[in-house]
Amino acid sequence: MRYLLALLPLAMLSACGKPEARTELTIQRFFGACQAEFGTLADPAKAEGECGIITAMINQFEAANPDIKVVENTVFWPGYDQLTAQLAANGPPDLVTMHSSAIPDYEARGLLEPLDADLAAVGITPDQFTAAARVGVMVDGKTMGLPIDVWAPLWHVNMNLFRQAGLVANDQPVLPTSPEEFFAQAAQFQERTGKPYLVQISTKDSSGPMRIFYVWMLQQGAPLFRDARHANFDSPAARRALSFMKDLYQRGYSAKNLDYASAVSTFLKGEGGILVDGTWMVGKFDAFAHDATSPLYRGYAVRSFPFLFEGRRVALVDGHNWVMPTDAKRTAREREAAQRFLKYFAANDFQWARTGHFPAYKSIIESAQWQQLPHRGDIATITQIGEPLPKYVRRQSAIEYVVGEEVSAAYTGAKPVDRALTDMQRRANEILQSY
Amino acid sequence: MAEGSGLRRAATWDRWSGALFVAPYCAFFVLMLVIPLGLGIHLAMTRGDLFGIDEFVGFDNFARLFADPVFLRTVWNTIYFVLLTVPAMTLTGLALALVLNHTSRWAAILRAIFFASTVLSVTVVALIWRLVLIPEGGLAGVVARAIGEQPIAFLSEQALAMPAVAVTTIWWGLGLPMVLFLAALQQIPRDLYEAAALDRASKMRMLFSITLPSIRRTIALVLVIEIILQFQLFGQAHLMTGGGPNNSTRPIVLFIYQTGWKQWQLGYAAAAAQVLFVMIALAAMAQYYITSRKDKA
Amino acid sequence: MSLAAVHKPPRTAIVLVTLAAVFMLAPMLWVLILSFKDNTALMADTGSAFLPPWTIANYRSIVGEGQVFTWLMNSVIVSLAMTAGVLMLSSLAAYGFARLEFPGRKLLFVIVLFGLAIPEQAVIIGRHQMFSAASLHNTYAALVLPGLSMPFGVFLMTQYFRAIPKEIDEAALLDGASRLRIFWRILLPLTIPAQATLGIFTFFHAWNDYWWPLISATNRDMVTLTVGIAATQVNFAQSEGLGFLMAQAVFAGVPTLLVYLVFQKYIVRAVAGAAGQ
Repeated sequence: MRYLLALLPLAMLSACGKPEARTELTIQRFFGACQAEFGTLADPAKAEGECGIITAMINQFEAANPDIKVVENTVFWPGYDQLTAQLAANGPPDLVTMHSSAIPDYEARGLLEPLDADLAAVGITPDQFTAAARVGVMVDGKTMGLPIDVWAPLWHVNMNLFRQAGLVANDQPVLPTSPEEFFAQAAQFQERTGKPYLVQISTKDSSGPMRIFYVWMLQQGAPLFRDARHANFDSPAARRALSFMKDLYQRGYSAKNLDYASAVSTFLKGEGGILVDGTWMVGKFDAFAHDATSPLYRGYAVRSFPFLFEGRRVALVDGHNWVMPTDAKRTAREREAAQRFLKYFAANDFQWARTGHFPAYKSIIESAQWQQLPHRGDIATITQIGEPLPKYVRRQSAIEYVVGEEVSAAYTGAKPVDRALTDMQRRANEILQSY
Repeated sequence: MAEGSGLRRAATWDRWSGALFVAPYCAFFVLMLVIPLGLGIHLAMTRGDLFGIDEFVGFDNFARLFADPVFLRTVWNTIYFVLLTVPAMTLTGLALALVLNHTSRWAAILRAIFFASTVLSVTVVALIWRLVLIPEGGLAGVVARAIGEQPIAFLSEQALAMPAVAVTTIWWGLGLPMVLFLAALQQIPRDLYEAAALDRASKMRMLFSITLPSIRRTIALVLVIEIILQFQLFGQAHLMTGGGPNNSTRPIVLFIYQTGWKQWQLGYAAAAAQVLFVMIALAAMAQYYITSRKDKA
Repeated sequence: MSLAAVHKPPRTAIVLVTLAAVFMLAPMLWVLILSFKDNTALMADTGSAFLPPWTIANYRSIVGEGQVFTWLMNSVIVSLAMTAGVLMLSSLAAYGFARLEFPGRKLLFVIVLFGLAIPEQAVIIGRHQMFSAASLHNTYAALVLPGLSMPFGVFLMTQYFRAIPKEIDEAALLDGASRLRIFWRILLPLTIPAQATLGIFTFFHAWNDYWWPLISATNRDMVTLTVGIAATQVNFAQSEGLGFLMAQAVFAGVPTLLVYLVFQKYIVRAVAGAAGQ
């Protein structure tokens, strides 16, 4: 017994072991999990797709900084339920990806660290960002994160099918400029190819339907929100947008009952003319366009939403940013590690832009290297006409959910358009007035 | 004198020593059940989110709930779901128990098959069925095409989504009623049947006159267990449909989760949780009432 | 004895039941087959699942990546710990309620019974706030402690203790045994069937827990099996692929199925035993 007691202090000492010399940096992100394919890759130039490139970038950063141990948390999109839970539990990550539209909510509750000083310490200042990126990340003159991109919803076009439908002129896809033209062209397309003109996501997804609805509203020159406490979904513009969406769905010009994965798969199989998705797929689809076995071989083009309505030539944009949640337990070393990561990411934003998203830095957007990336020239106007969701309206994530659900219900015919708009307006206002 | 106080101390110790056995559990009971319940009720009367309470609003949240079409729809969805699953599970479980109440090999294998799905966890079941029900690529779609039919998008159709979730749940939970009924059936004394056979009673007669009355307590038990269980539907709806299409599959528990964590309205969510509590408490009290009455009978 | 001794079920019943069994097995077998197909082939057409070629690439990926193992391990640790805790606490408390006299015993027991009616939803938000205030989220403690308060265990064990004849206690008391000794050495071994029932119920309750770990165990290392499987299925177009997802589901389901097949008799007996209580 005494002999055991004597051993105890030795045992305790050995249990302490060597102190962890590396600083732990917890990085949390969405963009999917792809450990199987890209788990060990440390060269972003060889990766593709959002998941692949970000995994490779984090690996490359870790390899170049042996004194930092990166704990990478992948959460399912958009990860805000989890982040909220973590913040409430006083255990948030050091850096997390956040949409520009979500920043106001967390900032208003004091849950994010302003990063002006941190970024300045590694040589990054707001005037280096593009206008859209800067607007997205600044609140009340403070830089609430490091922007990494600006993204937009897009029309991805299957040019092979378009050629078959006779909708190609001068090697450009012919896109409608009004609802009437839309129906005419869609009819022609479906008659000649037998495939649906549009491939939209309508199941178990609120962001897809919401973005499309917002774009049609914005194009009519109508604001999405009348003020910080009232939505504008009971306006004639909203009615026109939703009725148009319903019309085209009911007339059979969109593929039906697709969730996100099925929609992408449908487009990749050459079973639809236009996939309504976003900038993040440009890199991936372009790769398929060079694959001789793919239905998209030499037949991929991408464009911003065509202007179907008289009003404003505007595009909807949002952005991704790295933000730092407040954490009283974060040490100075951890903070310094985070700064280093932000510096690395800013310096390598070009790699991230290979996904298809617009880079957040003027120097990259103006560079020949970026402009020569495939298809960027076709969508570059978005950087000028792109407009983010208004910063003074909070709870965008919650409202997106409501809008998406009501829009889907209306255009699939489950609910009359007017009822859907009234419900959408009521529910959105409730959310906007609940804080 | 010293003896007297010693005896008194022993008597006090005797009186209270029993309490030491229940104390550890009671500590957890208070800490993990009573206090959180109190906190929940308090929260239900406030407006705020996970990061802080903004103000006390009394019964406002409850008034809002009962005027909220979305919430009222979720109450209906929950009741509808219970109606879809509980009778089906109970009847099918009973039928299976009656047929499989055998000592033969095939009966044993079939019994094992029917209970196997019950041991899987809820998210695995939701994943399996979500993929079974994908219109073009899922098993249901493949089977439909094989028999020359168009695949149906169950989870996208307003009228079919909840039944699809119900079928998933029945597939998952069928084993439990079956096992409970099997045990009950095995308690019935054999001579009752032998006497009836001597009277040349038909199988149907025996079923209704002997079997069912003998297991009525178990039937009640199964009904109430399943009702309470299915009232708490969450995982399947969260993962298979997210509450859609058009709010047709959102149960109360999913409403609570989304309101509290997605919409940052924690007080409102807590109020909905208390409403659910009352509904389940009524069902639990019904169980106590029914089973205690049966005991007296 | 059973109904079986008296008559065999009609042929139509057997056919129907066999068809029902096929319905039960089909989804599980389909998932199994899909897990052996290459992801890109599946993206093109899931009907190809029934034709060769098949591959074990998905399983190799899982073994290489290892996340499922972490989830599995967390679920096992939490479930075992909660089971052990509930068995111990409930048995101790049940002995106190069933056998010992102390002031307020009857009232306390009734209060505990009322606890049976409290669903998890009514307390989960309060618990979340408490653990947040104590900064105890993302720990095994947070995942295990709440479950220790379930009144069902106390209820079940108290019924069982009450059914044991008092003479056994009295004989031991005459021999000068202490209360604790009576409990530990004499009565507890007699309650093993009830322990098995309660243990199995608690284990599966913990194993199946989804909402609480979803909001409490959010860090990568603490994620449990239910939450992990849920997370990866949400947007698989942007991640590993259908075949990999199926392999994960197999990994998640096979251990429990194996345990079930091996301990079938005990599990079924335990579950049925609850019906008697």
